[in-house]
Amino acid sequence: MQPAVSLESIARQLESEGLVSEDKFTQAAALIARLRAVQPWYIRAMVGFGAWLASLLLIGFVAGFSFAVGGVTLVGLVLIVTAVWLHRQSDNDFLVQATLAASLAGQGLLAWGVADLMVGDTFKIGCSIVFVQSTLLFFLFPDRIHRVVMVLFATSAMTAWVYAFKLNAVVPVLGPVFAAVLVLIYQNRPALAGAGHGHYARSLETGLMLSAFGSLLLSTIYLLPELGSGFDFYPRPWISTILLGALFLYVGYRTSPVLLDGTGKGASAIVYGLMIAVIVTAWPMPGLLLALIVVILGAANGHRTFIGAGIVFFVVFVSAYFYGIEVSMLTKSIALVSSGVAILIARWLLLRIMGVPAHG
Amino acid sequence: MGQTGTPATHGSVHDLAVALALDDVAYRRAVDLAGLVADRGDWRRYLDQFLVAVGALLIVAGITAFFAWNWAYLHQMAKFALIQGGIVAAVLIAWRLQLDSIGGRASLFAAAFLVGTLFAVFGQVYQTGADPYGLFLVWAVLILPLALIGRQPGLWLLFQLLLNLALILYWIQVLHPPDGWWQVSQLLGPLVWLATTVMDSRLATWLFALNASAIVIWELAANRGIAWLQGRTYPRVLALIALYTVLGPTVVVIFGAASDHRVNIGVVSPVLFAAAVLLTLWYYQYRKLDLFMLTAALFGTILVVMALAIRLEVIAFGGALFLAVLLIGQVAGAALWLRSIAERRPVAG
Repeated sequence: MQPAVSLESIARQLESEGLVSEDKFTQAAALIARLRAVQPWYIRAMVGFGAWLASLLLIGFVAGFSFAVGGVTLVGLVLIVTAVWLHRQSDNDFLVQATLAASLAGQGLLAWGVADLMVGDTFKIGCSIVFVQSTLLFFLFPDRIHRVVMVLFATSAMTAWVYAFKLNAVVPVLGPVFAAVLVLIYQNRPALAGAGHGHYARSLETGLMLSAFGSLLLSTIYLLPELGSGFDFYPRPWISTILLGALFLYVGYRTSPVLLDGTGKGASAIVYGLMIAVIVTAWPMPGLLLALIVVILGAANGHRTFIGAGIVFFVVFVSAYFYGIEVSMLTKSIALVSSGVAILIARWLLLRIMGVPAHG
Repeated sequence: MGQTGTPATHGSVHDLAVALALDDVAYRRAVDLAGLVADRGDWRRYLDQFLVAVGALLIVAGITAFFAWNWAYLHQMAKFALIQGGIVAAVLIAWRLQLDSIGGRASLFAAAFLVGTLFAVFGQVYQTGADPYGLFLVWAVLILPLALIGRQPGLWLLFQLLLNLALILYWIQVLHPPDGWWQVSQLLGPLVWLATTVMDSRLATWLFALNASAIVIWELAANRGIAWLQGRTYPRVLALIALYTVLGPTVVVIFGAASDHRVNIGVVSPVLFAAAVLLTLWYYQYRKLDLFMLTAALFGTILVVMALAIRLEVIAFGGALFLAVLLIGQVAGAALWLRSIAERRPVAG
């Protein structure tokens, strides 16, 4: 892997190979100049903070008028339309943040206003409205952060909707479905870009990854038995394990040509055997498999954000799981140490079959 | 392949492909040229590092859980032996791995951290009744040799934070126990409580002096070209702390001027705040360009101006609109000015 390559050299090489025309090469230069002009994160953070605060003040100003319920809906709609229109006029940092805040506030007002106007269960109607408006705004509002937030809103609305209809048995399927769509999009990025839909891909991937993380974290929620609520947040987590296990094997299968290049069939059997052992070990902890899937996706494509996110989720999930599980500290200790030892043995085995002596 | 220019990351290559509407073949070629697709060697490295890290983490967590299980039943000497053994082991590992390696630095930092744990357990076992400021002061003094030997910003940052804590606790517990309304903040947790201690201008001034002088010493030493002092994390973190110690009381002065409640605030904090902002804007613009420092100074100024505007403007129906416009103007102006500074000269960090 050579991470020090520049975008300029890639654009030049593509042009010299006839994969990019000369006029597109000029576009590439403009894009690279734009990427170079991006402000450091702390300046964007300051601008973002200012934008959010200013937007809240503006919303406070608007809220100073007394509206009927229909008025709230109208104000929400006006805020959304104005935000979309303004954002399409300029990609200035401040305007982006201000329109983002205005759009979110508008969505809240719109969902509240419409749910209040309609007859029926306000919560269910609200969830449905959030889902619909998030889906629409994902396409209409041309901003990456906004699109990620829209995916999160849509998947959260979907999950809340499932709980509202008491379909808790479906909950273990949600995380694996989000993860499967993520893998599908990830693998079809080039095709999506070629078809002109590439600008949706990154936001969709990030949003789905975070949604899957959130969904799987539901399985670690620990309710004090004394509360006696009887509410099952995440029934049968093993359903998630089976589904994510299948996805884990699929991702492993896609990676194996590079990983096992030049090794025999015995090596393949050992690797798949180890993967199945991981799935069995993760039986009550499906989050482990999701973390591994995300790390593998990131590692296969030099995507550091995914690698980092997968590792962080791994640590968070294991911590949350072991914190909440109702066993003694001694049992936790035995489980953790034996898992650690098993992983180190697996590492030794893998490096051996890949022809590299284990060191360190 | 060029080694300078805009780095070809996973995200930037995708943006390039989208902007140029590259077809499937060209996209894959761009990713290939960027060297983003992991080859067998990369996979081996990832597996090696990931599995060893996860395995070690789980074992350490398991050992911690084991001691948590029977910590109360352990003999006090066993507790001391465990922690002191950890310090010795960490120092030996640091020595073995070399102080400049990542492992060596992490081990030395762990040793410095365990020194504090040792004192905490000592206080727990013997119930010494000593004031907590002593713990932090002695901890800072004892890790000073490690900081001098280690030559790493992380250790110096720990040292500086311990001095800050020792000063705050000495002020609060020995010199001037607080009697103001901010005692209630103790209910909101230690971090909130620490943050509200600067409501006393006298303590805030001492804290400002402590952190500002550390920044000055660091910058002077860094200007002599010492390699390990060239990182910007240490001075930036301390600058944020120093800025907070004058910004917080300044905002309280602005709002507290209308209050009948007696608070320990004085005009010294606003004066120091103004001086610090002016000095920062001059030094980090003309002597050593650092956009982070300039941004922090401007952000602090914006907050003070907003506080003044809120204080002077009666919050009424039109007030929110005025404040929003004022904020938009200031932030947009600051961003524009910072952009012009960045374009004028190459930026540090």
